[in-house]
Amino acid sequence: MLWVDKYRPKSLDKVLVHQDIAENLKKLVMEQDCPHLLFYGPSGSGKKTLIMALLRQMFGASADKVKVENKNWKIDAGTRTIDVELTTLSSTHHVELNPSDAGFQDRYVVQEIIKEMAKNRPIDTKGRKGFKVLVLNEVDKLSREAQHSLRRTMEKYSASCRLILCCNSSSKVTEAVRSRCLNMRINSPTEEEIVKVLEFIGKKEGLQLPPGFASRIAQQSNRSLRRAILSFETCRVQQYPFTSNQAIPPMDWEEYVSEIALSMLKEQSPKRLFEVRGKLYELLVNCIPPDIILKRLLYELLKKLDSELKHEISHWAAYYEHRLRLGQKAIFHLEAFVAKFMSIYKGFLIETFG
Amino acid sequence: MGKVKRSSAIVISSSDDEEDKDFILKTNSSYSKSVPVRRTRKRVNRTPLSDSRSRVFHDSNSEGFDVIKRFCEDFDQGFPQFKVSSGSGTNIGLWVDKYKPRSLEELAVQKKKVDEVKTWFEERLRTSVKNSCSNVLLVSGQAGVGKSATVYAVASNLGAQVHEWNTPTPTIWQEHLHNSNSGMRYTSKMDEFESFVERIRKYGLSSMTRTSPSSIILLIDDLPVVNGKFAYGRLRWCLHLLLRSVHLPTALLIYDYGKSDSAEYNTGYWEELQLSLLNAGACKVTFNPITVNSIRRTLSKICRHEQFEVGDEQIDLIAKASGGDIRSAITSLQYFCLKPFRMNSQSLSKSSVTHPEEDMDKNNLLNGGICLPFGRDETLSLFHALGKFLHNKRESGILSEPDRNTILLRDKFVRSPLKMDAPEIVLCQAHGQTRAIADFLHENVLDFVNEDTIDDAWSVSSYLSDADFLLGTLGGTLTRNFEAENVIQSAAASIAVRGVLFGNAHAVTSRWHAIRKPKLWQVEQSLRHNKCQMVSRWNAIHSSLKLCELSVIATEFNPALNWLQYEVPKDGESQQVSTAVHNGEDDYFDNDACDDEIEEW
Repeated sequence: MLWVDKYRPKSLDKVLVHQDIAENLKKLVMEQDCPHLLFYGPSGSGKKTLIMALLRQMFGASADKVKVENKNWKIDAGTRTIDVELTTLSSTHHVELNPSDAGFQDRYVVQEIIKEMAKNRPIDTKGRKGFKVLVLNEVDKLSREAQHSLRRTMEKYSASCRLILCCNSSSKVTEAVRSRCLNMRINSPTEEEIVKVLEFIGKKEGLQLPPGFASRIAQQSNRSLRRAILSFETCRVQQYPFTSNQAIPPMDWEEYVSEIALSMLKEQSPKRLFEVRGKLYELLVNCIPPDIILKRLLYELLKKLDSELKHEISHWAAYYEHRLRLGQKAIFHLEAFVAKFMSIYKGFLIETFG
Repeated sequence: MGKVKRSSAIVISSSDDEEDKDFILKTNSSYSKSVPVRRTRKRVNRTPLSDSRSRVFHDSNSEGFDVIKRFCEDFDQGFPQFKVSSGSGTNIGLWVDKYKPRSLEELAVQKKKVDEVKTWFEERLRTSVKNSCSNVLLVSGQAGVGKSATVYAVASNLGAQVHEWNTPTPTIWQEHLHNSNSGMRYTSKMDEFESFVERIRKYGLSSMTRTSPSSIILLIDDLPVVNGKFAYGRLRWCLHLLLRSVHLPTALLIYDYGKSDSAEYNTGYWEELQLSLLNAGACKVTFNPITVNSIRRTLSKICRHEQFEVGDEQIDLIAKASGGDIRSAITSLQYFCLKPFRMNSQSLSKSSVTHPEEDMDKNNLLNGGICLPFGRDETLSLFHALGKFLHNKRESGILSEPDRNTILLRDKFVRSPLKMDAPEIVLCQAHGQTRAIADFLHENVLDFVNEDTIDDAWSVSSYLSDADFLLGTLGGTLTRNFEAENVIQSAAASIAVRGVLFGNAHAVTSRWHAIRKPKLWQVEQSLRHNKCQMVSRWNAIHSSLKLCELSVIATEFNPALNWLQYEVPKDGESQQVSTAVHNGEDDYFDNDACDDEIEEW
């Protein structure tokens, strides 16, 4: 088992970061009931961990007995039936799924699943009709229609089920949904917190941590706890005992992106643009999301840019990131950004060096 | 002709009087029977009663029609002036029928091809039943190049009779309902064709005619339309049987939906079919489109016959507009001569009238000649159109002097006029889908951008991004409003194309470029594949139950897992890439095989 999973706190009492939020959540579910919740925050900040712990708090150990199901939903949509296949994770008390995996059919999935859940409500120990919890991941990737239908179903079935929504950015969740939920912002852990967690794990594993090593990992982790733990484990596999100046293995795709950035800075021509396109394809093929590519690329470029260009380049990156979400094929927009950068940078070079 | 001794005549009486006229032929004394024939498609809307009757008749006796059809042809041949009177009472037959070539000399088809066909039939007819394997001749070519005319002409030249597989009239849905209500079994066209082939194989034509079998040519013009793999397989099997066991020389006409309009997605089937038949021992003759010269010759001959004076100019125009399709050329000519200004006899007034017309046509010619009311619309292959856009050919001369009400543009926005029709027109002709066009342009445009001008590259790619943005709004966010979608589609296409044309201001001077298939498609395919693989791998590793976002798996877990060599099955990142590459290769093979089928993707 990966350390990420192994040292995931199982209950709200045991969390190391966001202890205040955990405390509040505990109070919230004292009565075994809770409002709809919306967890949002950057990746690797501990949203899922909190949700799992919360479920455990609500339902006890039975929330841990989960099974994975690959369900086929047959949805009657007026004139035709739609087949949607989706993986769900469910216990007797909750169902978890990534509705955005269903692509543009997500709205049917959301409605259908909630309806189905509402049909068979569990009965709790006191004979009251209980409720089920539906955990929806990546709500921000749901289409607008799906979010609207989510809102309606939330109201209609609020007696029988609670929703826990989880997403990276609440700005992509519609206002209507947000206002019906209790919003929980989960911040990225600070570097000190990450160091604390790493040291905790080190102690449990019985490892000797040279001073400064944990903080270096924390620095490189981009304040993502998951990433920090993963690279910590990677370091452990690569070389133990640790040395204080041990290299921390970077993510391969990030290296690739920085390579792209370098080649963009070196030459600006249609031919180079074409080469960059090939490299971008390579990244896309390996399932790296285009927006993350763009973000990373910008980050790498900004490191090397003259400060007077930074603003303009960031502007264009934002512009094309927006386009990327609205458009259909990411590469068109990524490439347009690359071309724009090259064009600006070349102009700048000519101006300064003649 | 005239060898037919069969004296039975079949009369269909339809309840509608006015239609009877269509079918009744005046007969000649030597036959002395009235022979009303020719089922036309008009009949489908007759009263149900007579309909079912004739349907019965047709199903049981379809060979009878063939015989009778031959009668008609004989009539036509014997009495060219003697026209079938048509329902409206006017005396205009179709010139296409009237001037059907009756001898080899009249054919406008390339002499060589005719000879080929002729020698093939001669051989078969001489040594009748010998080598059954090659008794089938495939005649392929685009519509209207005279495939069947050639077969008929060759047959009459050799003194043989043509026996044609008559396509049954299509059953319309109401008819079908009616039939099934009245307890008739529906036989599909495919079934009918199959039973026809069966009969031919087993009994030859002897059951249908009494002529000496050596002088019969079987002509299968219209193969049943097949849809889907299964029906296709049946057709193929059927034709193979025919090929193997038919004793009569058989001509099988295959339409070549050439390169130009491959809108039919199943053209692949036809090619495959042809190939498999060829492998099974059939011979093949391919007819090329008829040359402009021979069309011109034929047209002027017809004009002479009909005593219309049509200027060379017009004939030339018609010939060119027809695109090698002589049938459409002749029909165009007839239509042209129908114009109100035509005068039958007075040559004086005629010439005076036609002159202004000629001038107008000349003007049309200068303007690009789009105003002609006839002729087939040219279609362009998508590749051709893409080539036009990418090469970005423009007039090289000086720009028109800034005068009158032209809007003054800054220098950097000024472009020379295009050396082609408006891009939208070209797009129409190429009937490509917007998405495909955008993808192709995106893939290929960088090859055509000048090496020093990264600005151009940017403006091109920004326009493409705009186009993609427009196309993206189609994806489900709009409620299905097809009209709006259409508008958006064409706007996106227009932006993509015009953006490429405009943005590429300093196009490279023409050089040869291969147009690649968008790599994007391949990337998307392998992306899907990789996603599935990644999920399954994830599930294999984490029998622990946990859902995780794909992006997180890809960006964080996967690299770490690779470092940790945390592999259940041994398939790491590297192999994933290699499978992607492998997929791609497969794709490319596909691509080589059918380069023109863009619609498929």
